[in-house]
Amino acid sequence: MNTSMAEDQVLPFPYHQHDFENGLRLVTVPVPYPNIVSLYIVVHAGSRNEVEEGRSGFAHFFEHMMFRGTPAFPPDRYEAVLQETGASSNAYTDDDRTVYHTTLTRADFETVLAMEADRFMNLAYSLEDFQTEALAVYGEYNKDSAEPVNKLFEVLRDTAFDRHTYKHTTMGFLRDIERMPSMYDYSRTFFDRFYRPEYTTIIVTGDVEPDEIRTLVQRHWGHWARGSYQISIPSEPAQNGARQASIPWPSHTLPYLLIAHKSPAYCDAGVDCAALDLVSFLGFSASSPLYEKLVLEEQSVDVLWASNADHIDPYLFSVMARVKDPARLPDVQSAILATFHSFSTTPIDTGKLEEAKSHLRYRFALSLNNTEAVASNLAHYISLRRTPETIDRLYRLYAQLTPEDILRVARWCFQSAARTTVTLQQEAE
Amino acid sequence: MQLISLPDSSPLVTLRILFRTGSAQDPEGKGGAAWMTALQLASGGSRTRSNKEILDAFFPLATSVGSQVDKEMIAFSAETHRDNLDAFYEIFRAMLLDPGWRSDDFQRLRDDAVNYLESGLRAQNDEEFAKEMLYQCIYRDHPYERHNAGSISSLKTLTLSDLREFYTAHFTRENLTICLAGGYPADFERRIRQDFSCLPPKARPQQPIAAPASGTESNVLFIEKPARGVAISLGFPIGVRRGHPDFPALLLATSALGQHRMSSGRLFNRMRQIRGLNYGDYAYIEYFPGGMYSLEPEPNLARSHQIFQLWIRPVEHHHAHFALRLAIFELDRLIRHGLDAEEFERTRRFLPKYSKLLLKTKDAELGYLADSAFYQIPPYPEYLERTFAQLTLEQVNAAIGRHLHTDSLQVVMVGEDLAALRDGILANRPSPLEYTTPKPDEILTEDVEVANLALNLKARLMPAEDAFA
Repeated sequence: MNTSMAEDQVLPFPYHQHDFENGLRLVTVPVPYPNIVSLYIVVHAGSRNEVEEGRSGFAHFFEHMMFRGTPAFPPDRYEAVLQETGASSNAYTDDDRTVYHTTLTRADFETVLAMEADRFMNLAYSLEDFQTEALAVYGEYNKDSAEPVNKLFEVLRDTAFDRHTYKHTTMGFLRDIERMPSMYDYSRTFFDRFYRPEYTTIIVTGDVEPDEIRTLVQRHWGHWARGSYQISIPSEPAQNGARQASIPWPSHTLPYLLIAHKSPAYCDAGVDCAALDLVSFLGFSASSPLYEKLVLEEQSVDVLWASNADHIDPYLFSVMARVKDPARLPDVQSAILATFHSFSTTPIDTGKLEEAKSHLRYRFALSLNNTEAVASNLAHYISLRRTPETIDRLYRLYAQLTPEDILRVARWCFQSAARTTVTLQQEAE
Repeated sequence: MQLISLPDSSPLVTLRILFRTGSAQDPEGKGGAAWMTALQLASGGSRTRSNKEILDAFFPLATSVGSQVDKEMIAFSAETHRDNLDAFYEIFRAMLLDPGWRSDDFQRLRDDAVNYLESGLRAQNDEEFAKEMLYQCIYRDHPYERHNAGSISSLKTLTLSDLREFYTAHFTRENLTICLAGGYPADFERRIRQDFSCLPPKARPQQPIAAPASGTESNVLFIEKPARGVAISLGFPIGVRRGHPDFPALLLATSALGQHRMSSGRLFNRMRQIRGLNYGDYAYIEYFPGGMYSLEPEPNLARSHQIFQLWIRPVEHHHAHFALRLAIFELDRLIRHGLDAEEFERTRRFLPKYSKLLLKTKDAELGYLADSAFYQIPPYPEYLERTFAQLTLEQVNAAIGRHLHTDSLQVVMVGEDLAALRDGILANRPSPLEYTTPKPDEILTEDVEVANLALNLKARLMPAEDAFA
C-alpha cells in the first residue's frame, strides 16, 4: 500500500464491480491487510421503504428476523457454524439501508458466504419466533429510551416531515413497535419484496482475489430469483414555514437544542450536497468560530455537533447543542442562527475552505485503517449510488468547491421557512 | 521507558503513549486527578499553543488526540497521515511533555467531567450506570472503588495544582511505554525516545492495590430513577486475570455463557432468543466499559484485579424479578453441570480465531501488546492459541467450580418505582412469566422452577442522585 493524498483518487485500493444476471451486484476490493476478509451484504431497503401506515420500524425488525434461521441452518446451527469460523458478525438498519456484516479469516469465507446465501433465499420462521423477536425489539426501544438524543431526532423528524417516510426513525414509532407481533403476514411480504438480488449488493474486502470471489458468489448466489416489486416513496412537499417542538424530559438532563433545515438529497453530480458537507465542518466543528465562542470562550455549550447526513431523498441539515445553563438557551440559539446567516451573506475565506477540503480528504484516508473499515465505508456510499465510483466523484466535487458555491447553497438551504427547531429540557418538578 | 514498534509501509502512522498509573493512584480526597490530568493534556493547550491554536492546526490534518484513564493505565492515542507526521508530532509532543495548564481549559474540562457523571452516566445511560455501580459495590474501601472520573464533589474541589502534582509524580519514564506503528521514517523512533527522555526518571511509589475482600453475603442495590425498563448488572471479584493458569479456561466458559454482543451464548439464547425478555445478555471476566457502543473491548484497561459479571440489558419492570432469577439460575446451571463437549469444542475453536480480529487496527495491535507486557504473557492471539491447544473440558469445568459461585453476589438494578420489586425479592415472592405465544413444555417447566428460585439477598435502595455525588 502506497498512497499520497496528492493523487486524484481518494480510494487508495482498486475496486472490481460485477453485475450478475439476476440483478445482484458484487463489489470486491483487495486490501493489503493479510488473512482477513470482510463480507458486507447491503440490502437497499431501510426505514425509508416503510411506506404503509403503521409499519414504521419494520425494516429494522426484519433485520432481527433474518437471524431466525432456515430449514438447513436453524438459529443454533447458524450460530455454531459462525462461531467455529471465529467470525465477528452483526447487522444494522438505517433510513436507506440494511447491512449484514461479517469479518473473518480467509479460510472460512466460503462457508459463511454459502450460509448467508441460504438465509437470504430460504429464511423461514414460525409465528412464535416472530412474536418473541418482537419483544426483543421492544426491549431495544426501552434500552435506547434513556438517551435524550434519540427522542430529539424522533420528534425532529415527526415535526419536519409530513409525507416522506423520513418522518419516522429507523426504530419506528412506539405505537407501531407495540403492534409488531400482529404483523407476521406482512413480514413475509417484506421479505418477498426487498430481499431480492436487484435490491442487494455484496461487498467483499480484504485478502482476496476478485475472480475467485466472483466465482464463489456465482456458485452460491447466482440462482437467487429476481423479484418484481417497485417502491413508490411519497415525496415531501416544500416546507413553507418555520416549525418547532419542545420536549419535556422526565429525568435530569442539560437542555438540548436541535435546529434543522431541509437539505438536498445525496448527489455526486452537482455541488449542493458537497457544499453543505463543508459547511457542517466550517461552521460547527471544533475549529469553527462558533465552537470557539460557545464551547471555548463563553463555555455555555458542552456539545456542538452538525451533520449533513447523506440520504437518498432530501433530508435535513442538523445542528445540535447541549447547553450548560437553561438561561443561556436563547443566546445559543441566536448564535447558531447568526452562523447560518453569515454563510448565506458572506463568502467564506479561501484559506479556511482549503483547510476544510484537506480535512475531508485526510479524514477519509484515516478511516480506511483496516479491512472492516474499508467495507463499512463502502457500504455507506454503495447504499446511496450502488458503486464505489461515487466516492471519487464526491471528492472531486469537494476539490472544486468555491466560496460562491457555498454562499449560493447556504442562501437556498438556510431559509427560515425550511427550518425546524426542537428543544428538550427537564420537565418542571 | 518501554518501546513497542510495528513499522510498515502504511501511509498512516499510529501512536499510543501509555503510563502505568491511573485513577487508583488519585490522592485521598482528590478523586478524578488522573482523569483530569489526562484530559488537560489531550484536550487543553500546550505551553506555547492554546487549545484553540491546536484545534486549528489539527483541523486540516483531520486528527486529534484521544485519552483513556483506567485504574492502572492512562493511554493517549492518535493517528495521522504520514504526509503530516512532522506537523502533527511537533504539537503532540508539546501537549504531553510541555502542557499549558491553563485555567480556562481546566474549567471547561472539569465541567465536561461533572456533566459526564451527572447528566451522562447517572441520568442517561442506565446500563453503564448499573455496571459502574456494581464495581463500586464490589470494591468498597478499595483503590478501585471510585469511578475513574472521581465524584462530582471531588471534581469540584480539584485544582490545577493537583493535576500538576499528579503529572510530576506519575508521568515519568519509569511508567512510560511508547507504542508506534505504520509508515514513519527510520529516525522517528530515536526522535520520540529522545524527546520523551525529558520526563523525570522515577515515579512516586504507587499505592499498593491489594485483592478486594471477598464478600460473605449477597446484596442488591436498587437505584431509583425515571426509566422505561430495569437495567441489571451482577457479579463478584475473581482472582483470575490474563496470565493466571485458569484464565483461558474461565475465558472459554464465560464466552460460552455470554460472549459480548453475540447471539451464541447461553444467556442470550435462554433470556432473549427463547423468552424475549430483552435485547441481550452477556458475561465478562474483564472490565469492558461502553459495551453498548462497542462490539470489541478497548485495550489498555489492564487491571491487577478483575470481576466476573453478567450484563442483563433492560427488561420490562414486571419481568425484572424473573430475569434476575433466570440469570442466576443459568449461572448456577453452569456451575453445577459445566459445559458439554460440543459447546466446549465450538468455543475452543472460536476464541483463538476471534482474538485475531480484535487486533484489526494497528492501534489495537499496539494496545494489546502493551497489555501483554502488563500481564507478562505472550502476544494475546499467540497466548490464546497456545493455551487453548492444551485445554480440556475437564479443566474448564474444574476452573468454573473453583472461581464461579452464586453466593456472595453483588447485584445492581436501575429503574423506576423499585420498592415493590425490592419487597418481592426480599420475600422471595413467586415471579411467574406469562407469554402471549405458546412455549415448549421444557421451557414452561423450567419457568416454574425459575419463578420460585429462592435468592438470599439483602437489599438497599438509593436515589440515583446519591451516586457519584
